[in-house]
Order: sequence, then structure tokens, then C-alpha cells
Amino acid sequence: MTTRTGEELRNKQQTHYEDVNEGQMLPDYVLGPMTPTHIFRWSAAIENWHRIHYDQDFAVYHEGLPNILVNGSWKQSVLPGYLKDLCLPDGWMWKCSFQHRAMIVPGDTITCWAKVTSKKVIDGLGFIELEVGMKTQDDIETCPGQATIVLPLKGGRSVPYPFVPPKS
Amino acid sequence: MTTSATKLTPEVKSVIGATSEFTEAGWGVVNKEGLRRFTHAIMDPDPRYWDNDFAKTTRYGEVIAPHLHGGGGGRPPWETLDPVSYTFRQNPIADSTRDAPSGRQGALPRVPTDLVRLLNAGNEIEMYKHPIMGDRVYSQNKYANIIERVGRDGSHMLIVTTETSHWNQRGELLYINRGSSIRR
Repeated sequence: MTTRTGEELRNKQQTHYEDVNEGQMLPDYVLGPMTPTHIFRWSAAIENWHRIHYDQDFAVYHEGLPNILVNGSWKQSVLPGYLKDLCLPDGWMWKCSFQHRAMIVPGDTITCWAKVTSKKVIDGLGFIELEVGMKTQDDIETCPGQATIVLPLKGGRSVPYPFVPPKS
Repeated sequence: MTTSATKLTPEVKSVIGATSEFTEAGWGVVNKEGLRRFTHAIMDPDPRYWDNDFAKTTRYGEVIAPHLHGGGGGRPPWETLDPVSYTFRQNPIADSTRDAPSGRQGALPRVPTDLVRLLNAGNEIEMYKHPIMGDRVYSQNKYANIIERVGRDGSHMLIVTTETSHWNQRGELLYINRGSSIRR
């Protein structure tokens, strides 16, 4: 399991289409343990005043939840961010879809993960289909989903930016 | 509470396809301080978000922002009333401020349902371009679909899918987010 630093992201070497294979687990990324402060910081940053994210009494006694919850909107920025990192420096995180299946609460440590399910070359670019998610330390999948990332081929053309999806 | 009454009423169905105005998204102009708060909160230390010198050497040529920094957010404009005070004067046990008059253009009509609890069900996101410093981000919302599900306890709930597309001030598509929420 890994964390990431700015220096690692600054110096990351490109993963190419040829470097990944069906069934391969890509490097994961661990966040946490999450605290109420992490959760409140996100709510404050985006001005989300849904009380289940910062008011423990309301979350537990009114909503019947085990604790305050990590925001779905936080996960929808964090999981694509993890996939963005896998593509650096010159690939592209094109599509990502996921469900919010289980709660993340203070004390949880989260592992973002991705597994290659298929790959193909379209218009000279490598399209990698992934199964993705965010698991807790208890191996509970909180955020199952799929993603499509685009990687260059070795010696191939650059992934266009802004990204232009294939016509087919 | 168990009930057999459908929640997917004709009134609810009538808002499917409703599209908002094309309007400036909630975050306003992408700026350094907002970007710092956002990237700290998502724990992303990528220097592409803050190191000008390094960013110039990347394919982007300048500091970029995470896609979702450009859209969403609940920031009410200056001229509106305080949504927090308004909400809790109306309902001291409100679960959020979502029913306060937002004063924002681009809001979709309220889904006409008596289901009051709201949970984030999932997202489908397509990325095309990063916002950059100084960008104004514009968006348009649409109720893409509303379906009904019945829970194990027999209670009915709605799953509301809202599609929001985001562009910069040059008309370049940044990203599309199809977010689904559960009303129960």
C-alpha cells in the first residue's frame, strides 16, 4: 500500500499502454485515517451544510447513522484524482462512474484501487478499462465503479489535450 | 415507514428533462486561495495545482485545477439572504440548507416530493479539460432521469439523476457529471 507526495507526482514516469495487462492491479493509494476534521474541512471548502457531515448528534440521534459521514462529493473528487495520478504525466482520465455503497466514517482508512479489466487501441491511443473502488481497512467496498483511462503507446502519438474522444 | 403508494407521481415525472439556464457555476472565478482549500481538502499534493514553474514544464503549460473544482459548490451570491439562518428559522431540525432560496440562476425546479431525506447515490463523470486560474466556469443542469425503487422494508424512494455540463468562458467543455441522489 502506498501514499503519495508532491515530489512523487512531480517526477512520475509515464505508464504506457504496453505496461498494463488484463487482470493487473494498478498501484493503490491510501488515505487516512479519516477524522472529523478532514470531513469538516471538505464541507467548509465547498459550503455543503448537510448536517450528517459535521453534526454528530444530528447524524447519530436524528438520522440513525453510526457517525458523521465522509461526503459523496469528496469521494467524487478523490477517486478521479487517484485515477488522474495513474495517468500522469501525459495520459488522461476520461470516464469514471461509481456508486456510493457503504459509509466512510471517522477512523476509517481508505484504499483507492484499480484493476485492469480490458484494453484496446483506438486511433493510436491506449484505452484501458478499469474496475475501481475505495475500500476501508475492513475490506468493505464503499465506492465500486468503472473507469476508462487513456495512455499513450510507446513511441505512439500524444494523448490529445483537451481530450478528444474517439469517434467510434 | 412502510407504504405502497408510488412516489413516482405524474408531478415528479413532469420534471424529467427539465433543463436549467446556462449560468455561471457556484465557484465563481478559479483563484489561488480557493484552489488551495479545495486541493488540501481532497488531499491531492500534485504540484500541477500550485507550482507555477513546474506547471510550465508540463503538457498544460500553466497551473491547472481539478476538474470538479470548477463546478458545483453551494456558494450563494452576495445579494441573497443568509441560507443558514433562513433554513434553521424555518425548521430547527432541517438536515441541510437545500430548501433555502438560493438566489442562484441555473437552479432546477424542486422535485415535487414529500421525501425529505437526501443521499448521494453515485456519479458518472467525463473529463475533457482542466479549469485554469482565472477561468469562469459555466454550467447547465438537467434532470436526466428519475426512477423509483422499493426498499426491503417496502418503503418507496426516488433516484434522481442530474446531468451537469461545465464549460469555461471560452466555451470549451470541461467535464460532465451525472450525479444520482436518493430521496427517501
